[in-house]
Amino acid sequence: MAAEHVNSVLVGDMGSVHTRLVLIDLVEGQYRLIASSRARTTAAPPLGSASIGLEFAARHMSELIGRTLISEDSESLFYMPESSGHGVDAFLATSSAGRPMRAFLVGVTPEISMVSGRRVLGGSYISIVDTLCPDDQRSEEEKINTLLTNQPDLILIVGGTDDGADDILIEQVALVKTALSLIRYGTMPSVLYAGNRALQRRVRELLEPHTEVFVAQNVRPTLRDERLFPAQIELAFAYDAYRSKPASGFQTVGTQSSVGVVPTAQGIISALRYMGELQEQGIGPLFVDVGSANSAIVSTVNKQVQFGIRTDLGVGHNLVSAFEAITLERLRDWLPFDISDDELWDYAQNKQLRPATVPATTEELMIEQAAAREILRLLQDDVRPAWETASDLLPDFQPIIAAGAVLTEAQHPGISALLLLDALQPVGQVDLRLDPHNLVSALGVIAYLKPVITVQAFESGGLVNLGTAFCPLGRVRPSQDAMQIRIRLENGQTFERTVKGGDMWLASMLPGLKAQVTVKLGRGLTINGKRRIKTVVTAGTAGIIFDARGRPFVQPRPRDRAARFMEWQFAMTGRERRPALPVAATGAAAPDQPGEAVPLPSMDDLTAEPLDTMFDLDELEF
Amino acid sequence: MPYYPETTVVMGLARITRERRLPPNAAPRPSHTLLPGSTAEAVNTVLEGDIFREYRILDVAEELRLRRPSPEQLAEIIMVKEGQRALVGQELARRGSGRRARVLASPAEGQVVLVDGSRIILQLSERTLEIKAGIPGRVEEADSRFVRLTGNGALIQCVWGNGGYVYTSYKFLPEGGFVALSKQDPRISEYRQTVLISPQPVDKGALLVAQQQQIAGVVAPSMASNLREFALQLTFPVLLTEGFGQRRPTALIYRLLQDNMGRQASFNASVPDHWSPDRPEIMIQLPSEGIVPRTPALDQPVRVGAPVRITRAPWDGLVGEVVELPTQPQRLANGLRLPCARVRLPDDRVEWVALANVELLGQPV
Repeated sequence: MAAEHVNSVLVGDMGSVHTRLVLIDLVEGQYRLIASSRARTTAAPPLGSASIGLEFAARHMSELIGRTLISEDSESLFYMPESSGHGVDAFLATSSAGRPMRAFLVGVTPEISMVSGRRVLGGSYISIVDTLCPDDQRSEEEKINTLLTNQPDLILIVGGTDDGADDILIEQVALVKTALSLIRYGTMPSVLYAGNRALQRRVRELLEPHTEVFVAQNVRPTLRDERLFPAQIELAFAYDAYRSKPASGFQTVGTQSSVGVVPTAQGIISALRYMGELQEQGIGPLFVDVGSANSAIVSTVNKQVQFGIRTDLGVGHNLVSAFEAITLERLRDWLPFDISDDELWDYAQNKQLRPATVPATTEELMIEQAAAREILRLLQDDVRPAWETASDLLPDFQPIIAAGAVLTEAQHPGISALLLLDALQPVGQVDLRLDPHNLVSALGVIAYLKPVITVQAFESGGLVNLGTAFCPLGRVRPSQDAMQIRIRLENGQTFERTVKGGDMWLASMLPGLKAQVTVKLGRGLTINGKRRIKTVVTAGTAGIIFDARGRPFVQPRPRDRAARFMEWQFAMTGRERRPALPVAATGAAAPDQPGEAVPLPSMDDLTAEPLDTMFDLDELEF
Repeated sequence: MPYYPETTVVMGLARITRERRLPPNAAPRPSHTLLPGSTAEAVNTVLEGDIFREYRILDVAEELRLRRPSPEQLAEIIMVKEGQRALVGQELARRGSGRRARVLASPAEGQVVLVDGSRIILQLSERTLEIKAGIPGRVEEADSRFVRLTGNGALIQCVWGNGGYVYTSYKFLPEGGFVALSKQDPRISEYRQTVLISPQPVDKGALLVAQQQQIAGVVAPSMASNLREFALQLTFPVLLTEGFGQRRPTALIYRLLQDNMGRQASFNASVPDHWSPDRPEIMIQLPSEGIVPRTPALDQPVRVGAPVRITRAPWDGLVGEVVELPTQPQRLANGLRLPCARVRLPDDRVEWVALANVELLGQPV
């Protein structure tokens, strides 16, 4: 079906644990998220077929919205095109499941073309097994051996400017040709060529007799220009071909999708590129995803996309390697209870054996959330050089979007917000969003088909608004007034609150309520360079968040750490530890009346049902 | 909406089909191809191949001191062809004859993968690979790289193995545990060359005793994860039925093992890999007495009445019965809101358990 006639799109994302489906359709002239559903991913043995999980998710969606999606036709998984309110016009697929693709990078100059080559590969679920360039001092025999014994799935060849000198690059290609001609058994790697445009034909002639060759525009057409996107698109096709090889059912899914099976991360990068385009110059959104096997960070600054994909960091399939990267010492910064190294390693190994299981106790939940915080920190460290910031503080990304069940399905929306604030330590006024349906990736891949859907669906919502967080810059003084807050609702109700240095406060409000927020900051603290700000925000599922811990955030002393941690957890579920200060309420009753001192929260307190929101729609009249 | 959980097969009698494959980088030895319909014992080699490793580039012109040899000259000198196997010291090229002859000999055993001008590229042999049947059964399908076998017996899938394999009889740990076992003379011990079943978690001392007593293998609910590397070095199979740390044994598994004591069993301690069909498992060969047992069901949804095994604390290792499957998510003790089942535990208590934390046992409904 021609893209201009496509109105409804079903996008399936097959993660390592969950397969998620989203349906986007045209409603009253606007493309919107209509429904989402989820099932367990079935790509791994014993079922070994990704399409089974996809079908389960589609059947679930059909039950939810009363729309037939599964085709009775054996040729096609989905009922396409849409007819009489049933079926969809197009199906697209993304995936982050399966072993990362092993790539071998061949280039000419380590500091130019190979840097770009690494960036291309860094946008997908790929581990670079080794590299080769003319400066390499190894013998021809050693080079061939390193190329072949690493058993790459893909060889990326980059180098040379368009129409520039070609001898050196051709020598490298000839070496690859010799290596490929030696493979008798095992996997034949495919080749992605993204070097000197003038050599495209020659490269095809040399390598196509041996393997499948994907050709993209040069990643470095000139010394100054870097063009990663065309190579990333071709990489998506190479990834699809790779995914289709083993018996995991991706081939079946890929044939249903007009773009094959695109790496989920690539969908996210594409989406962030579009989101970046929608705004003026400057800092755009930040997207973070902590999955079971992989984790990703994608940001936009001045319409340029920066990203980092880690195939060794996850809270399920890769919890052991995540712990190794994090170190247990850092993990314990976020654990308010004693636990031995052995117990932590046992936990990680067991989770890796059964990655689809979920924490059943408070302690287990805290371990996984601690790992998620530190994974986010590591992701930031990876991508920070590309931000080119003078300080270690997070640039003013707006909004911050989080995906991955550990972040999106916490026990309370406030805890999801707390995880992001602890890990990323944003500064100023920042909007926090959740992407529980992997909508961002879906919209990114839809952009390949019909960009207007991506633009409109972003504008019409679909992400969960957690709320706005106010995070002043500067060092706070414990127990000193840090934030004097005044919240005025549209109906005139006004609430005041003072938050002490080192504390957090969650103003629990019904999502969608608009409020005028005035924050007066204590000495040495600023938001956007000011000591007093007045702004209108929309409450999210967590409400409105006030983080008076200061930036850069300094962990409390070890002896105070557990108690402070519990206080933050408690506060971010909308409950109080301390009596509130007397307030000059100009409207109805203050949200928290002064009262008796409340004892320090315990682990048991944290497991209790979260309190209801402070404001109820029924009580409010507009 | 039905929920399809993980399945770990624990069945007293099942029809078991297993596939064995040569790894993609192995060269098969076609002489070893089995015929469909033939039977194989668990320890029989069903596939054989060679694994090759690095490449050697041998320049005939350089080695034999030839200056710009013509193709005809090279054709005369080079004595091997592409695809040909070469033994250590085998002549690959020879120039001249008699005592003055110059010879290029193969530096190692391998295969000639390319003859290109004056270059011979040799891929060296690393090892010969023999893949065992693993289960006693009938060959359903076979070629030089692949065999499918079917057999009947009790099947117990485990969660971790150290890569070992053995087909032998088994015994439960004697009273007094590994301490008592350590005092026995390994030459006359009745436990020698049998697999030892320990219903309690094992520690390093236990594994050392097993090694010293020449035990054929160890099956236990769990061990500390810091023993993982040590266990991987052991020459006998170690199978864990539950996981790492101090884990409660699944009573059903140990009862099944108890009921079949004295029989031979295949202990396949495959190291788990999410993307491989091989799982660590124990298969106890049983006569089917003319009945074709049922094949384990791997794609069943959870249903009310289904027996399920709980995989996470605090009820990990318990097998219960699903009594309710609400459509709405439930809030767990830790605050998470998740799809849950109400499960009747062995002591008759009924508890909410996240569906993600239950697994089916493969029993066909």
